[in-house]
Amino acid sequence: MSLPISLRSNAPDALRLSEKEPDSAEPRGGRTGPSRRQLVAGAAAGLALAPLPRPAAAAAPLSEHVLRLTEGVVPERARLRLEIPALVENGNSVDTRITVDSPMTAQDHVRWIHLIAEKNPFPDMARFHLSPRSGRAEVATTLRLAQSQTVTAVAALSGGGFVMAEAAIVVTLSACIDGG
Amino acid sequence: MAIPFNARISMPAEAKAGEIIEIKVLARHPMDRGGQSDGKGGTVPRKILNRLTATYAGEEIFRFDMHTGVSANPFVSFTTKAVASGEIVFEWREDGGASFTRTARLTVT
Repeated sequence: MSLPISLRSNAPDALRLSEKEPDSAEPRGGRTGPSRRQLVAGAAAGLALAPLPRPAAAAAPLSEHVLRLTEGVVPERARLRLEIPALVENGNSVDTRITVDSPMTAQDHVRWIHLIAEKNPFPDMARFHLSPRSGRAEVATTLRLAQSQTVTAVAALSGGGFVMAEAAIVVTLSACIDGG
Repeated sequence: MAIPFNARISMPAEAKAGEIIEIKVLARHPMDRGGQSDGKGGTVPRKILNRLTATYAGEEIFRFDMHTGVSANPFVSFTTKAVASGEIVFEWREDGGASFTRTARLTVT
């Protein structure tokens, strides 16, 4: 918990703010009632809750890489299946298969599928461009993973939407050993 | 020391019209991600196959953009709908501008 640190650093501001506020919960002359610690803690809590844009911060468990790909659109976690082993001995070549449930018609098809490894030195791993002539949205490749992490597959649909899936993978030996 | 480029393309030789076939492509390439010391105070530049395109019946049917996250000797599998007898042309592009082309023939019955 980082509360004591933020409390200490915010204490002067918090006091000033609580004095300015007319509808503060703390009585003005009541210094003897609540202890100084309670007063500071209450003011600090009020300060912490009021100005922070909490909803934006709380509703973003998606990695910035996904949002960069989708240009801010939140992809649906459906229709895409990412098959990757849960544990691999080394990250040099990891078999991966991605299947998207799509009719692959001219009206409704998968435009591309992108693979992200957030902890790789270069998180963008690969992109598959598909078309209605693919017939099925099913691709496979061999990936190189730097360490244990979450691999994310994002697919762009012709209708403008996105779907995604994530898979956690444990890599016991990295693919980033020089000379290895 | 350069290993000659080599590719293995695995797909059915024949297919019925409209059938969806799976094409598996394995290329031989070190996919050097670069950044290692070259022993002279510099670093080795990246040298990977960065793109594979497959062209069939006059149209690009598949493109695979590769970055350093694709393994050495990259493998890729994809599908296509058999539309006409003809050649499927696979073209790899390597960092530095080199490109390699292989073809495979598909007979549609």
